[in-house]
Amino acid sequence: MGRYLHAFGAFWYDFLVGDRPELFVGSIAILAAIWAAIQVGLEPGLAGLVLAGSVLCLAGWSIARALRQRNHLP
Amino acid sequence: MAAMNVLVAALPAFLASVVEFVEALTIVLAVGVTRQWRSTLIGVGVAVVALAAIVGVFGSAIVLLVPISVLRLVVGGFLVIYGLQWLVKAILRAAGAKAKHDEDAIYAAEIEAMRQEPPIAASGMDWISFTVAFKGVLLEGMEVAFIVVTFGASAGQLGPAILGAALAGILVVAVGIAVHRPLARVPENGLKFMVGLMLTTFGTFWAGEGLGVGWPWSDATLLVLLAVFLVGSLAAVRLVQARLDGAASARLAAVP
Repeated sequence: MGRYLHAFGAFWYDFLVGDRPELFVGSIAILAAIWAAIQVGLEPGLAGLVLAGSVLCLAGWSIARALRQRNHLP
Repeated sequence: MAAMNVLVAALPAFLASVVEFVEALTIVLAVGVTRQWRSTLIGVGVAVVALAAIVGVFGSAIVLLVPISVLRLVVGGFLVIYGLQWLVKAILRAAGAKAKHDEDAIYAAEIEAMRQEPPIAASGMDWISFTVAFKGVLLEGMEVAFIVVTFGASAGQLGPAILGAALAGILVVAVGIAVHRPLARVPENGLKFMVGLMLTTFGTFWAGEGLGVGWPWSDATLLVLLAVFLVGSLAAVRLVQARLDGAASARLAAVP
């Protein structure tokens, strides 16, 4: 049973986190921050702009990180 | 508008399914050719039934039980994470910073791995063929199931999403039977780029709706988001290529 649970967990980890954990953590952080900002009064129209911009920035950061990791490979 | 909703669910499911089914076909062909077709095809059949059950159970449960605002926030979040993974990898591959998926090489490696396995029993099931084919189709198919359930449920179009995936499956199997070798010429990275863009676009839109974001042009905002992400992604490909070229030139200049 433990083996199956471990395999199930490993599958979902690989599926959602994989080799780019910053995308998993970053996406959740962005959504949480936008939710909090809307709760304290961020205008909903502006929130959309911030959300789309943040997703683009996250992609850019992940690409830059991948390139840095690639350059450190032997 | 109804046709648009159908397309929204069916197209990403179709494109993502083509990519995943091509990868599954490589595994199935390698196992079938080197070991035993009967056990391989039984493994494929059982995996397809399992996937259909997963889509049916989870798709129906999600549509019936989860409120649409919660569904769109959770599904949107998952799609942003998953879509960005596909998109970032596709950008890196398009720019030459990451090796492209090579179905011929994977096929050769799979054939070699199968040849290392114990010989096939003279009669009855070959459980190695069954297990490898079942696992390959189930794992590749899980990604399809995820996209079908999330897109279908959020767009309220589970049927078209299933149809899109089924059509992709029929197409890949038909071409696979016709050519009887891995479909190495399918532009997998281009498809992954498009699917990554779509997942990220819809994920951002639905997650935003779930959070209470006010999109300025309602559903038409999807097209604006798609254009913004497309332009951003193409610019990223160019930037990465320029950086790689710059690094290569610097290395050449450093050679005495």
